[in-house]
Amino acid sequence: MLSLLSLSKTYPSGVEALSNFDLEIRPGEIVAVIGGSGCGKSTLLRVISGLEPATLGQVRIHGEEVTAPHPLINLIFQEPRLLPWLTVEQNISFGIRHLDAREQGRRVRGVLQQVQLQGYETRLPKELSGGQAQRVAIARALVTQPEVLLLDEPFSALDAMTRGSLQRHLLHIWRETAATIVIVTHDIEEAAALAHRVVVMRPSPGTMLEEITIDLPLPRNELEADLDPFKKRIRTALHRSLAYADGTDLMLV
Amino acid sequence: MTAADLSSEKQRLSGGKSGYRLRWSAFSGLLIALVLPVSGFAVWQLLVSSGFASGRLVPPPSRILSALWQLQQTGELSHHLVATCLRVLSGFAAGAVAGIILGGVTGYFRPARRLLDPTLQALRAIPSIAWVPLFILWFGIFETSKVTLIAVGVFFPVYLGVSASLVSVDRKIVEVGRIFRLSGFEMVRRILFPAILPALVVSLRTGLGLGWMFVVAAEFMGASEGLGYLLVDGQQLGKPDQIVAAILVFAILGKLSDGLLVLLTAPLTAWQDNYQKERK
Repeated sequence: MLSLLSLSKTYPSGVEALSNFDLEIRPGEIVAVIGGSGCGKSTLLRVISGLEPATLGQVRIHGEEVTAPHPLINLIFQEPRLLPWLTVEQNISFGIRHLDAREQGRRVRGVLQQVQLQGYETRLPKELSGGQAQRVAIARALVTQPEVLLLDEPFSALDAMTRGSLQRHLLHIWRETAATIVIVTHDIEEAAALAHRVVVMRPSPGTMLEEITIDLPLPRNELEADLDPFKKRIRTALHRSLAYADGTDLMLV
Repeated sequence: MTAADLSSEKQRLSGGKSGYRLRWSAFSGLLIALVLPVSGFAVWQLLVSSGFASGRLVPPPSRILSALWQLQQTGELSHHLVATCLRVLSGFAAGAVAGIILGGVTGYFRPARRLLDPTLQALRAIPSIAWVPLFILWFGIFETSKVTLIAVGVFFPVYLGVSASLVSVDRKIVEVGRIFRLSGFEMVRRILFPAILPALVVSLRTGLGLGWMFVVAAEFMGASEGLGYLLVDGQQLGKPDQIVAAILVFAILGKLSDGLLVLLTAPLTAWQDNYQKERK
Protein backbone atom coordinates (compact mmCIF):
# COMPACT_ATOMS: atom_id res chain seq x y z
CA MET A 1 0.00 0.00 0.00
CA LEU A 2 1.33 3.43 -1.01
CA SER A 3 -0.04 6.27 1.10
CA LEU A 4 0.33 9.97 0.44
CA LEU A 5 -0.67 11.81 3.58
CA SER A 6 -1.35 15.56 3.42
CA LEU A 7 1.63 16.09 1.11
CA SER A 8 2.76 19.68 0.63
CA LYS A 9 5.79 20.94 -1.22
CA THR A 10 6.99 24.52 -1.30
CA TYR A 11 10.21 25.20 -3.21
CA PRO A 12 12.87 27.54 -1.73
CA SER A 13 11.78 30.12 -4.33
CA GLY A 14 8.43 30.26 -2.53
CA VAL A 15 6.48 28.42 -5.24
CA GLU A 16 3.87 26.20 -3.61
CA ALA A 17 3.83 23.19 -5.93
CA LEU A 18 1.72 20.83 -3.81
CA SER A 19 -0.72 21.42 -1.03
CA ASN A 20 -2.42 18.96 1.26
CA PHE A 21 -2.45 16.06 -1.22
CA ASP A 22 -3.95 12.81 0.07
CA LEU A 23 -4.11 9.53 -1.83
CA GLU A 24 -4.16 5.83 -0.98
CA ILE A 25 -2.96 3.53 -3.76
CA ARG A 26 -3.63 -0.20 -3.50
CA PRO A 27 -0.98 -2.78 -4.49
CA GLY A 28 -1.18 -3.55 -8.21
CA GLU A 29 -3.31 -0.52 -8.97
CA ILE A 30 -2.63 1.79 -11.93
CA VAL A 31 -3.27 5.44 -11.13
CA ALA A 32 -3.02 8.16 -13.77
CA VAL A 33 -2.39 11.71 -12.60
CA ILE A 34 -3.57 14.30 -15.08
CA GLY A 35 -3.64 18.08 -15.07
CA GLY A 36 -2.46 21.21 -16.83
CA SER A 37 1.11 22.50 -16.91
CA GLY A 38 2.48 23.57 -13.55
CA CYS A 39 -0.17 21.84 -11.47
CA GLY A 40 2.45 19.86 -9.54
CA LYS A 41 2.16 16.47 -11.27
CA SER A 42 5.91 15.99 -11.69
CA THR A 43 6.61 17.40 -8.22
CA LEU A 44 4.18 14.83 -6.85
CA LEU A 45 6.18 11.99 -8.46
CA ARG A 46 9.49 13.47 -7.34
CA VAL A 47 8.24 13.61 -3.75
CA ILE A 48 6.89 10.03 -3.91
CA SER A 49 10.19 8.81 -5.36
CA GLY A 50 12.16 10.50 -2.58
CA LEU A 51 14.04 12.81 -4.96
CA GLU A 52 12.41 15.84 -3.32
CA PRO A 53 11.57 16.02 0.36
CA ALA A 54 8.00 16.97 1.22
CA THR A 55 7.67 20.26 3.08
CA LEU A 56 4.78 18.83 5.06
CA GLY A 57 3.05 15.45 5.11
CA GLN A 58 4.38 11.97 4.44
CA VAL A 59 4.80 9.31 1.78
CA ARG A 60 4.49 5.81 3.22
CA ILE A 61 5.05 2.43 1.63
CA HIS A 62 3.83 -0.52 3.70
CA GLY A 63 3.70 1.91 6.62
CA GLU A 64 7.37 2.91 6.25
CA GLU A 65 8.03 6.60 5.63
CA VAL A 66 9.82 7.46 2.39
CA THR A 67 12.29 10.32 2.86
CA ALA A 68 14.87 9.37 0.21
CA PRO A 69 14.93 7.14 -2.88
CA HIS A 70 13.56 3.77 -1.77
CA PRO A 71 14.47 0.28 -3.06
CA LEU A 72 10.80 -0.59 -3.62
CA ILE A 73 10.08 2.54 -5.66
CA ASN A 74 11.52 3.42 -9.06
CA LEU A 75 10.93 6.42 -11.27
CA ILE A 76 10.94 6.55 -15.06
CA PHE A 77 11.56 10.07 -16.30
CA GLN A 78 10.01 11.91 -19.21
CA GLU A 79 13.23 11.47 -21.20
CA PRO A 80 15.15 8.16 -21.07
CA ARG A 81 18.20 9.57 -19.20
CA LEU A 82 20.36 6.63 -20.25
CA LEU A 83 24.02 6.96 -19.37
CA PRO A 84 25.60 7.56 -22.78
CA TRP A 85 28.89 5.80 -21.96
CA LEU A 86 27.18 2.52 -21.07
CA THR A 87 25.75 -0.07 -23.44
CA VAL A 88 22.10 -1.07 -23.26
CA GLU A 89 23.02 -4.07 -21.09
CA GLN A 90 25.18 -1.98 -18.75
CA ASN A 91 22.49 0.69 -18.48
CA ILE A 92 19.90 -1.90 -17.53
CA SER A 93 22.11 -3.58 -14.94
CA PHE A 94 23.09 -0.17 -13.51
CA GLY A 95 20.83 -0.55 -10.48
CA ILE A 96 21.63 -4.20 -9.71
CA ARG A 97 25.42 -4.14 -9.63
CA HIS A 98 25.32 -5.45 -6.07
CA LEU A 99 23.96 -8.79 -7.36
CA ASP A 100 26.25 -11.53 -8.64
CA ALA A 101 26.96 -11.62 -12.38
CA ARG A 102 24.75 -14.65 -13.00
CA GLU A 103 21.72 -13.10 -11.36
CA GLN A 104 22.39 -9.80 -13.15
CA GLY A 105 22.51 -11.60 -16.50
CA ARG A 106 19.31 -13.53 -15.76
CA ARG A 107 17.41 -10.39 -14.78
CA VAL A 108 18.73 -8.34 -17.70
CA ARG A 109 17.72 -11.06 -20.17
CA GLY A 110 14.29 -11.20 -18.55
CA VAL A 111 13.57 -7.48 -18.80
CA LEU A 112 15.03 -7.25 -22.29
CA GLN A 113 12.47 -9.86 -23.28
CA GLN A 114 9.73 -7.90 -21.51
CA VAL A 115 10.51 -4.74 -23.45
CA GLN A 116 11.33 -6.76 -26.60
CA LEU A 117 14.86 -5.50 -27.06
CA GLN A 118 16.75 -8.78 -27.30
CA GLY A 119 19.80 -8.35 -29.54
CA TYR A 120 20.36 -4.74 -28.51
CA GLU A 121 22.58 -5.54 -25.49
CA THR A 122 25.83 -4.12 -26.85
CA ARG A 123 24.42 -0.98 -28.44
CA LEU A 124 25.17 2.46 -27.07
CA PRO A 125 22.27 4.85 -26.34
CA LYS A 126 23.27 6.99 -29.34
CA GLU A 127 22.46 4.02 -31.58
CA LEU A 128 18.85 3.74 -30.35
CA SER A 129 15.67 5.41 -31.52
CA GLY A 130 13.59 7.45 -29.04
CA GLY A 131 11.16 4.58 -28.45
CA GLN A 132 13.94 2.02 -27.98
CA ALA A 133 15.74 4.32 -25.53
CA GLN A 134 12.56 4.75 -23.50
CA ARG A 135 12.09 0.98 -23.46
CA VAL A 136 15.64 0.61 -22.10
CA ALA A 137 14.77 3.17 -19.40
CA ILE A 138 11.70 1.10 -18.51
CA ALA A 139 13.83 -2.06 -18.43
CA ARG A 140 16.40 -0.32 -16.18
CA ALA A 141 13.64 0.48 -13.70
CA LEU A 142 11.99 -2.96 -13.96
CA VAL A 143 15.20 -4.90 -13.39
CA THR A 144 15.29 -3.72 -9.75
CA GLN A 145 11.87 -5.39 -9.33
CA PRO A 146 10.19 -2.37 -7.76
CA GLU A 147 6.79 -2.67 -6.14
CA VAL A 148 5.91 0.86 -7.20
CA LEU A 149 6.72 2.19 -10.66
CA LEU A 150 6.39 5.93 -11.17
CA LEU A 151 6.26 7.23 -14.74
CA ASP A 152 6.58 10.94 -15.44
CA GLU A 153 5.01 11.54 -18.87
CA PRO A 154 7.19 8.75 -20.26
CA PHE A 155 5.64 8.64 -23.72
CA SER A 156 4.99 12.32 -24.32
CA ALA A 157 7.95 12.87 -26.64
CA LEU A 158 7.13 9.87 -28.83
CA ASP A 159 5.09 9.52 -31.99
CA ALA A 160 1.57 8.08 -31.78
CA MET A 161 2.54 4.59 -33.01
CA THR A 162 5.47 4.22 -30.64
CA ARG A 163 3.37 5.62 -27.79
CA GLY A 164 0.64 3.05 -28.45
CA SER A 165 3.19 0.24 -28.61
CA LEU A 166 4.84 1.31 -25.33
CA GLN A 167 1.47 1.62 -23.61
CA ARG A 168 0.77 -2.00 -24.57
CA HIS A 169 4.25 -2.94 -23.27
CA LEU A 170 3.48 -1.22 -19.99
CA LEU A 171 0.25 -3.16 -19.52
CA HIS A 172 2.04 -6.38 -20.45
CA ILE A 173 4.69 -5.62 -17.79
CA TRP A 174 2.00 -4.74 -15.25
CA ARG A 175 0.28 -8.11 -15.82
CA GLU A 176 3.60 -9.94 -15.38
CA THR A 177 4.91 -8.03 -12.36
CA ALA A 178 1.70 -6.85 -10.68
CA ALA A 179 3.52 -3.62 -9.84
CA THR A 180 1.70 -0.56 -8.57
CA ILE A 181 1.93 2.09 -11.26
CA VAL A 182 1.52 5.84 -10.95
CA ILE A 183 1.68 7.53 -14.34
CA VAL A 184 1.67 11.27 -14.90
CA THR A 185 0.23 12.25 -18.25
CA HIS A 186 -1.44 15.13 -20.04
CA ASP A 187 -3.20 12.83 -22.48
CA ILE A 188 -6.84 12.00 -21.66
CA GLU A 189 -6.84 8.97 -24.01
CA GLU A 190 -3.76 7.56 -22.33
CA ALA A 191 -5.14 8.06 -18.85
CA ALA A 192 -8.47 6.44 -19.77
CA ALA A 193 -6.84 3.50 -21.57
CA LEU A 194 -4.31 2.64 -18.86
CA ALA A 195 -5.58 3.52 -15.41
CA HIS A 196 -7.90 2.00 -12.84
CA ARG A 197 -8.19 5.44 -11.33
CA VAL A 198 -7.56 8.91 -12.77
CA VAL A 199 -6.62 11.73 -10.43
CA VAL A 200 -7.26 15.17 -11.88
CA MET A 201 -5.10 17.91 -10.36
CA ARG A 202 -5.63 21.63 -10.28
CA PRO A 203 -2.83 24.20 -10.10
CA SER A 204 -1.76 27.03 -7.77
CA PRO A 205 -1.15 25.21 -5.51
CA GLY A 206 -1.21 21.67 -6.91
CA THR A 207 -3.90 19.68 -5.25
CA MET A 208 -6.44 17.00 -6.11
CA LEU A 209 -9.56 18.23 -7.89
CA GLU A 210 -11.33 14.96 -8.67
CA GLU A 211 -10.81 11.21 -8.62
CA ILE A 212 -12.41 9.13 -11.38
CA THR A 213 -12.51 5.35 -11.10
CA ILE A 214 -12.60 3.43 -14.40
CA ASP A 215 -14.08 0.02 -13.64
CA LEU A 216 -13.38 -1.56 -17.03
CA PRO A 217 -11.01 -4.51 -17.46
CA LEU A 218 -7.49 -4.00 -18.80
CA PRO A 219 -6.22 -3.96 -21.51
CA ARG A 220 -8.60 -1.47 -23.11
CA ASN A 221 -8.83 -0.08 -26.58
CA GLU A 222 -8.51 3.70 -26.54
CA LEU A 223 -11.31 3.91 -29.06
CA GLU A 224 -13.84 1.62 -27.35
CA ALA A 225 -17.19 3.28 -26.72
CA ASP A 226 -17.36 2.15 -23.07
CA LEU A 227 -14.49 4.52 -22.29
CA ASP A 228 -16.34 7.57 -23.63
CA PRO A 229 -18.27 8.44 -20.44
CA PHE A 230 -15.00 8.28 -18.46
CA LYS A 231 -13.17 10.43 -20.97
CA LYS A 232 -16.01 12.92 -20.82
CA ARG A 233 -15.77 13.07 -17.01
CA ILE A 234 -12.00 13.53 -17.18
CA ARG A 235 -12.39 16.24 -19.81
CA THR A 236 -15.01 18.09 -17.74
CA ALA A 237 -12.83 17.90 -14.64
CA LEU A 238 -9.89 19.19 -16.65
CA HIS A 239 -11.92 22.15 -17.90
CA ARG A 240 -12.66 22.98 -14.28
CA SER A 241 -8.97 22.53 -13.46
CA LEU A 242 -8.05 24.91 -16.26
CA ALA A 243 -10.21 27.59 -14.78
CA TYR A 244 -7.50 27.81 -12.12
CA ALA A 245 -4.73 28.55 -14.55
CA ASP A 246 -4.00 30.38 -17.74
CA GLY A 247 -3.19 28.19 -20.76
CA THR A 248 -2.56 24.44 -20.90
CA ASP A 249 -0.75 21.77 -22.82
CA LEU A 250 -3.63 19.31 -22.55
CA MET A 251 -4.67 17.25 -25.50
CA LEU A 252 -8.38 17.98 -25.27
CA VAL A 253 -9.50 15.63 -28.01
CA MET B 1 12.22 -3.72 -38.16
CA THR B 2 12.46 0.04 -37.65
CA ALA B 3 14.45 2.50 -39.74
CA ALA B 4 17.06 2.64 -36.96
CA ASP B 5 17.42 -1.15 -37.04
CA LEU B 6 17.88 -1.13 -40.80
CA SER B 7 20.47 1.61 -40.60
CA SER B 8 22.44 -0.30 -37.91
CA GLU B 9 22.25 -3.49 -39.98
CA LYS B 10 23.57 -1.60 -42.99
CA GLN B 11 26.42 -0.23 -40.90
CA ARG B 12 27.29 -3.73 -39.70
CA LEU B 13 27.33 -5.11 -43.24
CA SER B 14 29.61 -2.33 -44.43
CA GLY B 15 32.02 -2.87 -41.49
CA GLY B 16 35.01 -3.92 -43.69
CA LYS B 17 34.59 -0.95 -45.94
CA SER B 18 34.40 1.46 -43.04
CA GLY B 19 37.66 0.03 -41.58
CA TYR B 20 39.44 0.77 -44.85
CA ARG B 21 37.78 4.20 -44.98
CA LEU B 22 39.00 4.97 -41.45
CA ARG B 23 42.60 4.05 -42.33
CA TRP B 24 42.45 6.16 -45.49
CA SER B 25 40.89 9.00 -43.50
CA ALA B 26 43.78 8.89 -40.97
CA PHE B 27 46.39 8.80 -43.74
CA SER B 28 44.80 11.60 -45.75
CA GLY B 29 44.46 13.60 -42.52
CA LEU B 30 48.22 13.29 -41.99
CA LEU B 31 48.92 14.38 -45.57
CA ILE B 32 46.61 17.40 -45.25
CA ALA B 33 48.20 18.38 -41.93
CA LEU B 34 51.65 18.36 -43.56
CA VAL B 35 50.63 20.60 -46.48
CA LEU B 36 51.10 23.92 -44.65
CA PRO B 37 54.46 23.31 -42.89
CA VAL B 38 56.01 21.51 -45.89
CA SER B 39 54.87 24.27 -48.29
CA GLY B 40 56.20 26.94 -45.94
CA PHE B 41 59.58 25.22 -45.68
CA ALA B 42 59.73 24.65 -49.45
CA VAL B 43 58.99 28.31 -50.21
CA TRP B 44 61.53 29.52 -47.68
CA GLN B 45 64.17 27.14 -49.01
CA LEU B 46 63.45 28.33 -52.54
CA LEU B 47 63.71 32.00 -51.53
CA VAL B 48 67.07 31.46 -49.80
CA SER B 49 68.48 29.18 -52.53
CA SER B 50 67.56 31.66 -55.28
CA GLY B 51 69.13 34.53 -53.37
CA PHE B 52 65.93 36.48 -52.64
CA ALA B 53 66.54 36.08 -48.88
CA SER B 54 69.82 35.80 -46.99
CA GLY B 55 68.69 33.13 -44.51
CA ARG B 56 71.19 34.47 -42.00
CA LEU B 57 68.76 35.04 -39.09
CA VAL B 58 66.01 32.70 -40.33
CA PRO B 59 67.93 29.73 -41.68
CA PRO B 60 66.45 27.64 -44.51
CA PRO B 61 65.28 24.05 -43.87
CA SER B 62 68.48 22.58 -45.32
CA ARG B 63 70.60 24.33 -42.65
CA ILE B 64 68.12 23.43 -39.91
CA LEU B 65 68.20 19.78 -40.92
CA SER B 66 71.98 19.92 -41.13
CA ALA B 67 72.14 21.40 -37.61
CA LEU B 68 69.83 18.67 -36.36
CA TRP B 69 71.96 16.01 -38.06
CA GLN B 70 75.14 17.35 -36.48
CA LEU B 71 73.51 17.50 -33.04
CA GLN B 72 72.34 13.94 -33.52
CA GLN B 73 75.76 12.75 -34.70
CA THR B 74 77.42 14.09 -31.56
CA GLY B 75 74.67 12.56 -29.39
CA GLU B 76 73.73 15.99 -28.08
CA LEU B 77 70.22 15.98 -29.54
CA SER B 78 69.21 12.71 -27.87
CA HIS B 79 70.74 13.83 -24.59
CA HIS B 80 68.89 17.17 -24.53
CA LEU B 81 65.71 15.62 -25.87
CA VAL B 82 65.58 12.96 -23.16
CA ALA B 83 66.27 15.55 -20.44
CA THR B 84 63.42 17.77 -21.63
CA CYS B 85 61.00 14.89 -22.11
CA LEU B 86 61.66 13.57 -18.61
CA ARG B 87 61.04 17.00 -17.12
CA VAL B 88 57.78 17.44 -19.04
CA LEU B 89 56.64 13.93 -18.18
CA SER B 90 57.35 14.37 -14.45
CA GLY B 91 55.83 17.85 -14.33
CA PHE B 92 52.80 16.74 -16.34
CA ALA B 93 52.20 13.72 -14.10
CA ALA B 94 52.48 15.77 -10.91
CA GLY B 95 50.41 18.69 -12.21
CA ALA B 96 47.71 16.48 -13.73
CA VAL B 97 47.33 14.33 -10.60
CA ALA B 98 47.15 17.42 -8.36
CA GLY B 99 44.74 19.13 -10.77
CA ILE B 100 42.43 16.10 -10.92
CA ILE B 101 42.41 15.65 -7.13
CA LEU B 102 41.91 19.32 -6.21
CA GLY B 103 39.52 19.89 -9.14
CA GLY B 104 37.55 16.85 -8.00
CA VAL B 105 37.41 18.05 -4.40
CA THR B 106 36.32 21.59 -5.26
CA GLY B 107 33.93 20.40 -7.97
CA TYR B 108 32.20 17.86 -5.74
CA PHE B 109 32.23 19.50 -2.31
CA ARG B 110 30.64 22.93 -2.24
CA PRO B 111 32.32 24.00 1.06
CA ALA B 112 35.73 23.03 -0.36
CA ARG B 113 34.98 25.05 -3.49
CA ARG B 114 34.10 28.11 -1.45
CA LEU B 115 37.23 27.71 0.64
CA LEU B 116 39.83 26.80 -2.00
CA ASP B 117 38.66 28.01 -5.37
CA PRO B 118 39.06 31.80 -4.88
CA THR B 119 42.69 31.35 -3.76
CA LEU B 120 43.49 28.93 -6.56
CA GLN B 121 41.92 31.24 -9.13
CA ALA B 122 44.06 34.11 -7.81
CA LEU B 123 47.19 31.94 -8.04
CA ARG B 124 46.20 31.00 -11.60
CA ALA B 125 46.43 34.65 -12.61
CA ILE B 126 50.13 34.85 -11.65
CA PRO B 127 52.41 34.83 -14.73
CA SER B 128 54.49 31.66 -14.87
CA ILE B 129 57.76 33.57 -15.03
CA ALA B 130 56.95 35.21 -11.68
CA TRP B 131 57.35 31.83 -9.97
CA VAL B 132 60.89 31.29 -11.29
CA PRO B 133 62.90 33.30 -8.71
CA LEU B 134 60.82 31.92 -5.88
CA PHE B 135 61.19 28.30 -7.00
CA ILE B 136 64.95 28.77 -7.37
CA LEU B 137 65.08 30.09 -3.83
CA TRP B 138 62.90 27.30 -2.49
CA PHE B 139 64.07 24.29 -4.51
CA GLY B 140 67.48 25.31 -5.84
CA ILE B 141 68.58 25.49 -9.46
CA PHE B 142 68.39 21.78 -10.25
CA GLU B 143 65.56 19.47 -11.30
CA THR B 144 63.02 20.09 -8.51
CA SER B 145 62.43 23.75 -9.35
CA LYS B 146 62.08 22.97 -13.07
CA VAL B 147 59.64 20.11 -12.60
CA THR B 148 57.65 22.19 -10.09
CA LEU B 149 57.33 25.04 -12.57
CA ILE B 150 56.07 22.66 -15.26
CA ALA B 151 53.66 21.07 -12.78
CA VAL B 152 52.26 24.52 -11.94
CA GLY B 153 51.69 25.15 -15.64
CA VAL B 154 49.89 21.82 -16.08
CA PHE B 155 47.95 22.05 -12.83
CA PHE B 156 45.73 25.04 -13.54
CA PRO B 157 44.03 24.00 -16.78
CA VAL B 158 43.49 20.50 -15.42
CA TYR B 159 42.15 21.84 -12.12
CA LEU B 160 39.84 24.30 -13.84
CA GLY B 161 38.60 21.72 -16.38
CA VAL B 162 37.82 19.09 -13.74
CA SER B 163 36.28 21.49 -11.24
CA ALA B 164 34.12 23.36 -13.78
CA SER B 165 32.96 20.24 -15.59
CA LEU B 166 32.02 18.52 -12.32
CA VAL B 167 29.93 21.50 -11.31
CA SER B 168 28.13 21.45 -14.64
CA VAL B 169 27.36 17.71 -14.86
CA ASP B 170 23.74 17.37 -16.00
CA ARG B 171 21.41 17.23 -12.98
CA LYS B 172 19.27 14.73 -14.87
CA ILE B 173 21.87 11.98 -14.95
CA VAL B 174 22.83 12.67 -11.33
CA GLU B 175 19.18 12.05 -10.47
CA VAL B 176 19.45 8.65 -12.14
CA GLY B 177 22.23 7.85 -9.67
CA ARG B 178 20.12 9.14 -6.80
CA ILE B 179 17.10 7.02 -7.82
CA PHE B 180 19.39 3.97 -7.72
CA ARG B 181 20.66 5.09 -4.28
CA LEU B 182 24.34 5.37 -5.20
CA SER B 183 26.68 6.32 -2.36
CA GLY B 184 28.81 9.45 -2.72
CA PHE B 185 31.82 7.42 -3.88
CA GLU B 186 29.73 5.37 -6.30
CA MET B 187 28.18 8.54 -7.67
CA VAL B 188 31.67 9.88 -8.43
CA ARG B 189 32.92 6.60 -9.89
CA ARG B 190 29.90 5.62 -11.93
CA ILE B 191 28.34 8.91 -12.99
CA LEU B 192 30.39 12.04 -12.35
CA PHE B 193 33.80 10.78 -13.48
CA PRO B 194 32.60 9.20 -16.75
CA ALA B 195 30.48 12.29 -17.44
CA ILE B 196 33.49 14.63 -17.20
CA LEU B 197 35.92 12.42 -19.13
CA PRO B 198 35.62 14.37 -22.41
CA ALA B 199 36.27 17.64 -20.57
CA LEU B 200 39.12 16.02 -18.64
CA VAL B 201 40.80 14.90 -21.86
CA VAL B 202 40.62 18.45 -23.23
CA SER B 203 42.06 19.79 -19.95
CA LEU B 204 44.90 17.27 -20.05
CA ARG B 205 45.69 18.25 -23.63
CA THR B 206 45.75 21.92 -22.66
CA GLY B 207 47.87 21.08 -19.63
CA LEU B 208 50.33 19.07 -21.71
CA GLY B 209 50.65 21.94 -24.20
CA LEU B 210 51.41 24.31 -21.34
CA GLY B 211 53.87 21.76 -19.98
CA TRP B 212 55.93 22.10 -23.18
CA MET B 213 55.76 25.88 -22.87
CA PHE B 214 56.78 25.91 -19.22
CA VAL B 215 59.69 23.56 -19.80
CA VAL B 216 61.35 26.29 -21.86
CA ALA B 217 60.92 28.78 -19.00
CA ALA B 218 62.20 26.10 -16.62
CA GLU B 219 65.27 25.36 -18.75
CA PHE B 220 66.08 29.03 -18.98
CA MET B 221 66.70 28.82 -15.21
CA GLY B 222 70.34 27.95 -15.63
CA ALA B 223 69.92 24.48 -17.13
CA SER B 224 72.94 22.65 -18.55
CA GLU B 225 70.85 20.23 -20.59
CA GLY B 226 67.53 20.15 -22.38
CA LEU B 227 66.10 21.69 -25.53
CA GLY B 228 65.65 25.00 -23.68
CA TYR B 229 69.38 24.97 -23.00
CA LEU B 230 69.97 24.50 -26.75
CA LEU B 231 67.92 27.64 -27.35
CA VAL B 232 69.95 29.69 -24.86
CA ASP B 233 73.18 28.23 -26.17
CA GLY B 234 72.17 29.04 -29.76
CA GLN B 235 71.37 32.62 -28.79
CA GLN B 236 74.64 33.15 -26.88
CA LEU B 237 76.78 31.61 -29.61
CA GLY B 238 74.85 33.24 -32.46
CA LYS B 239 73.61 29.99 -33.99
CA PRO B 240 70.12 30.67 -35.37
CA ASP B 241 70.03 27.25 -37.09
CA GLN B 242 70.42 25.57 -33.69
CA ILE B 243 67.65 27.77 -32.23
CA VAL B 244 65.21 27.00 -35.05
CA ALA B 245 66.18 23.32 -34.91
CA ALA B 246 65.33 23.23 -31.18
CA ILE B 247 62.05 25.07 -31.84
CA LEU B 248 61.22 22.54 -34.56
CA VAL B 249 61.91 19.65 -32.18
CA PHE B 250 59.62 21.29 -29.59
CA ALA B 251 56.86 21.56 -32.19
CA ILE B 252 57.26 17.92 -33.23
CA LEU B 253 57.39 16.68 -29.63
CA GLY B 254 54.33 18.76 -28.69
CA LYS B 255 52.32 17.44 -31.62
CA LEU B 256 53.41 13.84 -31.07
CA SER B 257 52.67 13.88 -27.34
CA ASP B 258 49.26 15.47 -27.96
CA GLY B 259 48.49 12.88 -30.62
CA LEU B 260 49.53 10.10 -28.25
CA LEU B 261 47.30 11.49 -25.51
CA VAL B 262 44.37 11.70 -27.92
CA LEU B 263 45.03 8.15 -29.08
CA LEU B 264 45.25 6.77 -25.54
CA THR B 265 42.10 8.53 -24.36
CA ALA B 266 40.00 7.96 -27.50
CA PRO B 267 38.37 4.74 -26.20
CA LEU B 268 37.23 6.63 -23.08
CA THR B 269 35.24 9.15 -25.09
CA ALA B 270 34.07 6.95 -27.97
CA TRP B 271 30.50 7.04 -26.62
CA GLN B 272 30.14 10.74 -27.40
CA ASP B 273 27.43 11.49 -29.91
CA ASN B 274 28.68 14.54 -31.76
CA TYR B 275 28.19 15.94 -35.21
CA GLN B 276 31.86 15.53 -36.20
CA LYS B 277 31.61 11.75 -35.75
CA GLU B 278 28.38 11.81 -37.75
CA ARG B 279 30.21 13.58 -40.59
CA LYS B 280 32.96 10.94 -40.61
